[in-house]
Amino acid sequence: MTGTPEHSAAAGALQSALAAENAAIFGYGVAGAYLSGAQRAAATAFWNDHRSAGDTLAAMLRARGAQPAAAGDAYKLPFPVHTAHDAVSLAIFLEDGVTAAYLGLVAGGGTGLRGFAARAMQDSAVRSSYWRGSCQAFPGFPASPPGTTHVQLVQ
Amino acid sequence: MSADPTRRRVLAVAAATAAGVAGCAPGRAWPWATPPTQAADVGMLKDMIVAENALVAAYARVVSAFPVLAAAAAPLLRQHQEHLAALLARLVIPAGAGPSASAMPRAHPAAGGFPASERAAVAYLRAAERAQAAGLTGRLAVATPSLAQLFASIAASEASHAALLAGNQR
Repeated sequence: MTGTPEHSAAAGALQSALAAENAAIFGYGVAGAYLSGAQRAAATAFWNDHRSAGDTLAAMLRARGAQPAAAGDAYKLPFPVHTAHDAVSLAIFLEDGVTAAYLGLVAGGGTGLRGFAARAMQDSAVRSSYWRGSCQAFPGFPASPPGTTHVQLVQ
Repeated sequence: MSADPTRRRVLAVAAATAAGVAGCAPGRAWPWATPPTQAADVGMLKDMIVAENALVAAYARVVSAFPVLAAAAAPLLRQHQEHLAALLARLVIPAGAGPSASAMPRAHPAAGGFPASERAAVAYLRAAERAQAAGLTGRLAVATPSLAQLFASIAASEASHAALLAGNQR
C-alpha cells in the first residue's frame, strides 16, 4: 500500500480500465467464433490488442504496489450472439465499453496518465469504427457531452 | 451667479492631475489595469477552437475542389461541427476578444500546398486529422479533468476519422 489519495485514485481508474480490457478479451473470444475471413482476422488482431493492453495495465498497477484484479471466468452477454451480425454488434459493444473505461482514466488517473489513456481511447475508437463502418463525434461519452445540445453554431 | 472660487480651484487641480496621469507622470497604475492571467486550459481551449475551425475549413475547401468526395466527407465534417459546438460551449468569450493565441501546431499540413488530386486530398485530410489528434494528446496535462475528457474524446474521434479515411487499414 503506497498511500497518497491521488495514488489510490489512479489505481482505481487503472483497475477499471483493466476490468474493461478483460471483459473485451472474453467478448472477442465469443465474437470471433461467429466471424470469418477478414472479420475473423480483425477479431483475432483486436483480441491480441486487448490482451497486450491488459498486460500493460497489470504492469502499471503492480508498479504502483497494487494487485491487478483478476478477470471473470465468463461475462453475461448484452444480447444473444448467434450470427456474424450479432458478433459485430458485440465487438462494437466491447470497444465502446473499453473507450468509456479509458475516458474515466483520463479524468481519474492523474495528469501523468492522461496521454496514455487518450491514446488507448484512440485505439479503441479506431477499432469501433472498423466494426461500425462509421465514426462517433464523442467516443467514450454515453451521449453528447453536456452543453452540446442547445448550442447553435454560428456559420 | 459667481462661481465659488475655491471649488473652481479644486476642479482645476483635479483636471491637471488627470492630464498628468494620462501623460505618464508619477502615479501608480490601477491594480486592475492589467487583465487577469487566464487559466492554462482556457488558452488550450481557444487553440482547439482555432484548430477545429481550420479543420472544418480544410474539409470545405476539399469538398469544393473535389465534389465527388462530398458524400464521404459530410458525416466527418458534421462531427467536426459538433466538436466545435462543444468547445465553444465551454468558452466564455468576453466582448471584443475573439479566440486567438496559438502555440498549437497548425492543424493542417500546409507545407505541401493544396492537394492536386482526390487521392492526395484524402491523404491531406487524414494527415490533418492525425496531426490534430496527436497535438491534443500531447497537451492534455494542462487541462482540468473535465476538459481533458472532452479533448481526449475529440482526439479519439479524429483518430477514427483518420482511420476511416485510410479505408480502415491497420
